[in-house]
Amino acid sequence: MSATATTTARAHPEKNYLNADHTIASWLLTTDHKRIAVLYLISVTFFFFIGSIAAGLVRLELTSSQGLLLTSEAYNKMFSAHGVVMIFFFLLPSIPAAIGNFVIPIQIGARDLAFPRLNLLSWYLYIIAGGLILFALAGGGFDAGWTFYTPLSSLYSDTQITIALVAIFIAGFSSIFTGLNFIVTVHKMRAPGMTWFRMPLMVWANYATSLLMMLGTPVVAITLFLVVLERTLGIGIFSAEIGGDPVLFQHMFWFYSHPAVYIMVLPGMGVISELISAFSKRPVFGYHFVAFSSLAIAGLGFLVWGHHMFISSQSVYLGVIFSLITFLVAVPSAIKVFNWAFTMYKGYVEFKTPMVYAIAFLGLFLIGGLTGLFLAALDTDVHLTGTYFIVAHFHYVMVGSSTIAFLGAVHFWWPKMFGKMYNEFWGTLSAIVIFAGFNFTFFPQFILGYLGMPRRYHYYFFEPAWEVYNVMSTMGASILAIGFLMPAFYLTASLLNGKKAPQNPWGAKGLEWEKAASPPVTFNFSEPVVVTEPAYNYPSADRPGGAMVHQLDQLDEDIEKLEGD
Amino acid sequence: MAKQFEEHGHHVIPTRTLAINLAWLMALMVLTIVAARVTHFLPTMPGNVVAMSIAIVKAFLVVAIFMGVKYTTNLAKLFAIGGFVWFLLLFGILIDYFSRPWEPVKGWEPLPSTSLPRTPGVDE
Amino acid sequence: MAEHAAHHHEPGEDVVFGQYETIEQQRESYIVGMWTFLVTEVMFFGGLFLVYTLYRWKYAEVWHGMSLHLNFWLGGINTAVLLLSSFSVAWAVQRAQVGDTKNQIRLLWFTVACACTFLVIKFIEYREKIVHGLYPDWAYQGLPDVEFGPSRLFMSLYFAMTGLHGVHVLVGIIVITTLIFMTKAKAPSISDYIPTEMVALYWHFVDLVWIFLYPLFYLIPA
Repeated sequence: MSATATTTARAHPEKNYLNADHTIASWLLTTDHKRIAVLYLISVTFFFFIGSIAAGLVRLELTSSQGLLLTSEAYNKMFSAHGVVMIFFFLLPSIPAAIGNFVIPIQIGARDLAFPRLNLLSWYLYIIAGGLILFALAGGGFDAGWTFYTPLSSLYSDTQITIALVAIFIAGFSSIFTGLNFIVTVHKMRAPGMTWFRMPLMVWANYATSLLMMLGTPVVAITLFLVVLERTLGIGIFSAEIGGDPVLFQHMFWFYSHPAVYIMVLPGMGVISELISAFSKRPVFGYHFVAFSSLAIAGLGFLVWGHHMFISSQSVYLGVIFSLITFLVAVPSAIKVFNWAFTMYKGYVEFKTPMVYAIAFLGLFLIGGLTGLFLAALDTDVHLTGTYFIVAHFHYVMVGSSTIAFLGAVHFWWPKMFGKMYNEFWGTLSAIVIFAGFNFTFFPQFILGYLGMPRRYHYYFFEPAWEVYNVMSTMGASILAIGFLMPAFYLTASLLNGKKAPQNPWGAKGLEWEKAASPPVTFNFSEPVVVTEPAYNYPSADRPGGAMVHQLDQLDEDIEKLEGD
Repeated sequence: MAKQFEEHGHHVIPTRTLAINLAWLMALMVLTIVAARVTHFLPTMPGNVVAMSIAIVKAFLVVAIFMGVKYTTNLAKLFAIGGFVWFLLLFGILIDYFSRPWEPVKGWEPLPSTSLPRTPGVDE
Repeated sequence: MAEHAAHHHEPGEDVVFGQYETIEQQRESYIVGMWTFLVTEVMFFGGLFLVYTLYRWKYAEVWHGMSLHLNFWLGGINTAVLLLSSFSVAWAVQRAQVGDTKNQIRLLWFTVACACTFLVIKFIEYREKIVHGLYPDWAYQGLPDVEFGPSRLFMSLYFAMTGLHGVHVLVGIIVITTLIFMTKAKAPSISDYIPTEMVALYWHFVDLVWIFLYPLFYLIPA
């Protein structure tokens, strides 16, 4: 072992985690969080393109009110494949498992996650689940949507639902293990001096996300497992014909799947805090409010599942309560947006590629969030639920926010991950093309939804007037596709012959930029890390919240003391 | 090494404590069987309450003594309590089934069909 | 690669993995990790308990009738067996803490024996139910004195919940046996009591689930 290491060191004077070892086994059996993050990055990108192909076919089909090339059955399978692949195999693992895995240990000054082997296991579970879902697609697909409502999924559909559900079950455990690892890492692995309120907001956001993964995912796992039991062993739990309640499935499904929406968007919010601060050269305005708003979103996220069920025979009283709590979620979300805006105010804003993505996020998240209020209101929801309004709303949040935050994160940490710079012109252009294509695709869908076009319909020959909006949307999707393909080319080019990245290409604060090389060495830091300053400690005369710092340092000490007991 | 980490506050639970705990658990088990099956003297609701109270006490004994939560760090206590709280939160789903029979909500009944279509001025 | 300090392990010395600074930090991380995992397990079974509560509330009388058809003596014996195994595994942790490996392994074997006994009794119960046509699939025959649908629902939940619990018992047997052999082989990663403590925490959780399952299925009042 040590002999190999010495030779490698001599051949490459700058030894880092990428060139520490070149065998395939050293990648597939690695316990290095950075290598696992790279493995995740490759696999989520692969599934993103699979899901995009399905989306492309759905959009193509909808350009005609009569249907174009798919049968109704194939159409159902196509939007189910799009939903399942994008949500469970791209959005859920994208930022936490690919980006968070890489940066979180470095940001808190740790050598690795608390359980490196569990981390690898979680990637393998993801790959097994991904293999199963591809197997299910190859074996004819599944047609119950990503929500798998009973009794359609349990009693009526004879497509490959069982395999798909088992795949999601396994992917769920991959997600649980990532969350568990992050929680323990944040609690126990922080470097000396890295107190809770010195942690970058990316870490706070991912900590909140991990709580959601840990508390929510098992519930959906058992729910989907019960449907598998019904399909395979005949043990009917949600079967109405023996007195079971199919609506209970919806309750249990959304008990996880609403928090899952925040699993997708919270890490993105963490990324945006990093980007905006780094490219405005100012500390995040109201750091503590942004940190606590992550936890507030996580907590409130568990109390609003019923807003997916306003028309599912749920009790009206409960509907009113869910409606009110759903409005409350807007408060912590708005706190974040205002604070990001104030961070830029009077800052030295540089429009580098990640910052362009971050600003695109702000606009799209604003629209996504505000249209959510229409759906939170009990009676407008009755009109809008199950229409393209909802489709547009959640795409603004999931694609417009999460995916764009993911791309922003990839562009921000790319020099750190691979030690290479990419072409700034193409990067900025891709962000602009994606922003334009995205709005072109999904804004017409708000109008379609308002006009009453139901989601998941194959034909709409009864209302040909909708065609023009659908054609617009599909044209937008083509632009969006070009936008998404551009990074694939110029990032590959950067890997092959990009300029060598300096340690801190953006002049940003944070341990990963100030203390770790680009790319970092195997155990991240060449010398022990001691943290002596708060996060985002940019030189700035008018730092906001200065008076509070002392009190919060005191609070930090108290927390440390409590944990130690 | 063993001695060293005892000094760090890792509590070694005496065998006697463990044995007493086991005795309590066994006694409670016998009690719950007797209450439910042998005597049949309890009606439905008290029967449920007694059975569940005994189960909760047993669970508490296992968590506190056998799992050592009584002697462990605050963080582990927080996780143990947090798990329990979220378990209860899940049962919030039952509120739906509980409140459905209260409908229709007073004052929210659909208008009688004779009053339709509405004519301007009449509603004000 | 000097990834794990395990390579430089000397007998009797604690093994600190590369990502940790101190043995204390490593121990605490493992215990916190195990508790985090148990919280997910609570939520995992929580979904089933929720389903149970709703249907029991809806069909209380039918379920009481079905409960009388379960053998509460066998269930009671199984409860006692699991409580005993919980005690023995807690004792094994205590032995591991003071470094008494010989008795620790004996107690772990006793725990495995209890777990196997539990599964044998469970198997006898399952067989009896299946022989009487009470397996709740499409061929379910029901009982003459209770309503058909809800009774099938009862058996569905009985098999789902005790089955999932049984799988956990099986996993427990595998994990404890592995621990015994690794302890015997003096595997470097088993240098202190923490692995035993983690396995014990898991096993107590399995016991905990059964403490609730027993009255909920076998002892439903009229």
